Amino acid sequence: MTVPGFASPVVAQVTAIEASLLAFVVLTALATAFARDVLAAVIVFGAYSLGMAALYTFYRAPDVALTEAAISAGVTTVLLLLTLAKTTRLDHDAVFESVNLPAAGAAGLLFAGLLLTMGDIPAIGSPDAPVWSNPDVSQWYLSESYAQTHVENTVMAVLAAFRGFDTFGEAVVVFAGGIAALIVLHREVFA
Amino acid sequence: MSDAVDDTDMADTATDTRPDDPSDASGGASSDDQGDTESDLPPHRAVSRSRRLDSEERQGTPYTESQVIMPTVKVVTPFAFTYGLFITFHGSGSPGGGFQGGAIMAAVVFMIAFAFGIESTRDWLANTVVVALAVGGALAFAGIGLVPVALGGAFLQYDLLPIPILDPVKYGMEGVEIVGIAPIVSGVLMGLFFLLASGFDSDGSGFGSGSLDEDGSIDESEPIDEGSSLEEDAADAGGDR
Amino acid sequence: MSVVDAALAAGYTVGDFLLLAAAGFTVLAIGMLYRAVKGPTMQDRVLAVNVLGTNTVVILAILSAALSEPTFLDIALVYALLNFLMAIAISKFTVERGGVL
Repeated sequence: MTVPGFASPVVAQVTAIEASLLAFVVLTALATAFARDVLAAVIVFGAYSLGMAALYTFYRAPDVALTEAAISAGVTTVLLLLTLAKTTRLDHDAVFESVNLPAAGAAGLLFAGLLLTMGDIPAIGSPDAPVWSNPDVSQWYLSESYAQTHVENTVMAVLAAFRGFDTFGEAVVVFAGGIAALIVLHREVFA
Repeated sequence: MSDAVDDTDMADTATDTRPDDPSDASGGASSDDQGDTESDLPPHRAVSRSRRLDSEERQGTPYTESQVIMPTVKVVTPFAFTYGLFITFHGSGSPGGGFQGGAIMAAVVFMIAFAFGIESTRDWLANTVVVALAVGGALAFAGIGLVPVALGGAFLQYDLLPIPILDPVKYGMEGVEIVGIAPIVSGVLMGLFFLLASGFDSDGSGFGSGSLDEDGSIDESEPIDEGSSLEEDAADAGGDR
Repeated sequence: MSVVDAALAAGYTVGDFLLLAAAGFTVLAIGMLYRAVKGPTMQDRVLAVNVLGTNTVVILAILSAALSEPTFLDIALVYALLNFLMAIAISKFTVERGGVL
């Protein structure tokens, strides 16, 4: 579980923050799933995104962390709250939802099956990981993106130049999402 | 929440709105307000205040302008908007880009809406602006992609862009991020926000039936008010249970 | 001081201590999560999520220093600016079930 750029004596510290962040994320995810009150679930989901942003940051994916921050803190909570304001919310005494045992068993089996595949996944930051050591994809982008696009941020170079047509499709999907919301809500105007 | 508070609030708002226009019960109010939005210049002040009171009369709670939220939003909003612009414009050199910056700029609008009321913000930020952002962004992205095609290259082949002096590859990508993705994302997110705030149009007069006038937006305002009042009544009844 | 000196001599860097501090803040966040989940009233949850947001800003800033990546501070700034929005959205929603939104 070492991270590139860190020597072996820091493994303990790296594991400490990884473990605490992962525990935070898993706990918030479970609380979101089991919360009886929908508003509480929305609030705890905001806390979940906070942990995920810190985790992405630690794994040196600042673009993903920034997206998580902007979308979750700024947009998702607000939109979910607006949706809740338009629906009826029942008052509950219990904090947690009662667990449906067959469904939990099925989900647990699926989880265990997925966990079996974890042994074949290379360690995080391993220099032998195919996603890193592949000379045709990752290394090629890392070495060629500045030479070909003159942009320091490799993520943006890949997004806007190397797979620009895909990004165009994504932007059109966002646009179509707005139109779909108009249709679903029977509106002709946004504002 | 208690009944006594509700009653006094209802009385207050009733005395406030009653002298304004006595024929307030049905859809007359919305048409009045529509006329005001066209004539009076600061619509987020006078007009929507009266419309606010009208909607509060239905809900039984006045729109309380928080002494904490409003000044804080006034201070925070310019910085947050500038930061969204920075994330958008500086996406080539630091983490970020059009998507993140557009989301932050839309969140600024959410902030303003929470501080000054969603209806006021809806009046301030016209539907034309939201639609122009989304559509303009999509068209700009497609345009930047199609210019090299017209010059005999491939779609989004930046080095064929006719940009003088500057580096066409870098500034073509910046253009895609700044005038393409960021307006689409911020426009669509603002639109989703206003759509969800107004809710489902339960009258079913969404398409076609409400367009007897030549201007769809003015004609559409009355069914929106009706629909939201119905839904708020239903929500109120649900909350009292 | 002697402990720090010994640790530095043993090959640890300042970044390691910062990472350890970030881990400590994350443990604090887990403790605060109890109030966000259990919190008898919604006001408790609003306060808890606000504290969690501030805590996350601190964690992100420490991570930025520990990993010596100054651009990671952008993420902390975004949270610092937008955490406020989450708090006011939830607190205004709790007043009369979003009737004043």
